[in-house]
Amino acid sequence: MLKVSPLRKRQFLGGIIGIILGGVIFYTLTLETTEKYISIGPMNTGHQELSCFACHADAKGNLLQQVQSNVSHAFGAREEGVDFGTKDVTVDNCMQCHDRPNDRHPTHRFSEPRFKEAVEQIDATTCITCHTEHQEERVSVASINYCVNCHQDLEVENDPLDISHKSLIAKEEWFTCIQCHDFHGNHKYDVPEKLSDTIPMKSIQNYFNGGKDPYGTAKKYTALSQEAWLKTLGE
Amino acid sequence: MKTIYKTILLFTCIILASCGGVPEEKSKVASIEKAFSVEEVLEMVAKENDVTRTLYTKAIVGKGKAQGMKFDEDWRKDDVEAGPLPALFLRGVATSIRKSPVPLGLYLGSDFPVNAANKFEGKQADLFEEIKKDQKPQFFYDEEQKLHTAMFADLASAGACVSCHNKHPQTTKSDWKLGDVMGATTWQYPKDSLTYKETVAVLNAYAKGTVDIYVQYLDEIKAFEASEKPEIGDKWPAEGNYLPTAEVFLDSVKKLSSYETMKHLVATK
Repeated sequence: MLKVSPLRKRQFLGGIIGIILGGVIFYTLTLETTEKYISIGPMNTGHQELSCFACHADAKGNLLQQVQSNVSHAFGAREEGVDFGTKDVTVDNCMQCHDRPNDRHPTHRFSEPRFKEAVEQIDATTCITCHTEHQEERVSVASINYCVNCHQDLEVENDPLDISHKSLIAKEEWFTCIQCHDFHGNHKYDVPEKLSDTIPMKSIQNYFNGGKDPYGTAKKYTALSQEAWLKTLGE
Repeated sequence: MKTIYKTILLFTCIILASCGGVPEEKSKVASIEKAFSVEEVLEMVAKENDVTRTLYTKAIVGKGKAQGMKFDEDWRKDDVEAGPLPALFLRGVATSIRKSPVPLGLYLGSDFPVNAANKFEGKQADLFEEIKKDQKPQFFYDEEQKLHTAMFADLASAGACVSCHNKHPQTTKSDWKLGDVMGATTWQYPKDSLTYKETVAVLNAYAKGTVDIYVQYLDEIKAFEASEKPEIGDKWPAEGNYLPTAEVFLDSVKKLSSYETMKHLVATK
C-alpha cells in the first residue's frame, strides 16, 4: 500500500480546490452579465449600453496558440508577437460607428507631415487623446485651448463677430473658440455673433463631463448603436 | 515529486507546441513578388488624380457653373445647395481612401492656400519650393511617421482654378495664372515596394474614392429644395443642365487615364 504523507494530501487537496476555484472565477468573469466587474472604469457618455466586444474584439487564435506564438517570439523563433486575449483598440474601432462625411477635424488629416508640430502638442491622429474611455465623461482633453496649435494665422474675411477673431487671437483667448464652434462640426445651430451670446464656459465643462449638450440636440449625423453596428458587420 | 513536476512541465510544453501558433501573416511571403517601387506606384496614382481632378474641374465645375450650377466650400451644410469645389472633391477622395484597407494617404496643400490650415510647413514647404522651380515630383521618407512620402505639382490647369482662387474672399494670392503651380498633392504609403496586387489595390482605392465623393454630390442634389436639379444620366454639363452618373464619370476618367497606367503596369510586369 502506497503511503502518502498528510502534507502531500493537503497539497493535493489545495491544488484541486485551486483549479476548481480558478475555473469558476474564469467562467463567471467571462459571462456577459459580469462585464462591469472586469471593466477598468464606467463607460463614457453615450457608450453605457455597449458590450465589451464592441471595442475589445477577440484576438486571432485561441489562448494556447497566443501563448505559444508569444513564447516563440520571445525566443526569437517567430518574427512578430501576437495580440493576447483581445485585439488592441484603434481609431478604426471608433470610426465604425462615428465616421461622418462632415467631420471638420477627422483624425486622418493630422497624419500629414505639416501637422507634425501640432501633433506633438496634441495627438489629434487618435480619438482617445480627447475621448479617453472608461472615464464616465464625454471629453477628457487636458486643456481646451487646443485650437492654438493650428489656427494662429486665422483671418476671417468680413468677420461677423463684435470682437474680431483677429483680436481674440492677439489676446490669446483660445478658450473662447469652443464657446462658438463644436470641434467636429456635427451640430446644427446658429453660431453667435456677439461674444456675450456665446455658450458659458460652465456649460461647456458640464457637457465635457457628460452633461446637457449646449450646442443643441439637432445633429446632421448620429453615431451607430451597437445593434446598427452589428448589422453593418453582416452586410 | 521532482518527477511529477518534470512530467507536468513536459506535458505543458507538448500541449503548447502541439496546439500550433497563431498563423503568421502572408505579407512576408509576398515580399519576393514585389513588382513596383513605392515611387512608381505613387506616380501612377498621382497621374490618375491629375486626370480625375482636371475632368471634374473643367467638365463638371467649369461647364456646370456656366449652366447655373453652384459649387461651394460649405457644400455639405444643409442650407447650402451646391457641389464640392475641386479641392474638397479631392478631400472627399482622401477620406474614402482612408476608410479602405489600403494604407494610402492623400493630402492637398499650398504656400498660398485659401484655407490657412492647408499651408505647407517644415520639410513640405522646403520641397514645395523645389517643385515650383521645376514641377518635378519630390520623394522623401518621413522617419517619424515611417512613411514613404511623395509630393506632386498641382497646376492651374483650368480657367475655373484661376478665377475661383483669385476671386475667393479669403484668398491669400489674387494673381494666379493658367499653368501656375498652385500647390502640391502629398501622398504617403508605408512600404518601399508593392506587389502587383497591392498596386492594383492602391489604384482601385483611388477610383473608389472618386466614385464615393461623386455619389455624395449626387445625393446632395437629391435633397435640393430651392435650386433646380440637374438631370442625372449620360449627358454632361456642356450639353445643358445635366450631370453624368457616377459610372459615366468614372468611365471617362478610365478612358483618359487607363492607357498611361496600363502601359506602366504591363511593361513592368
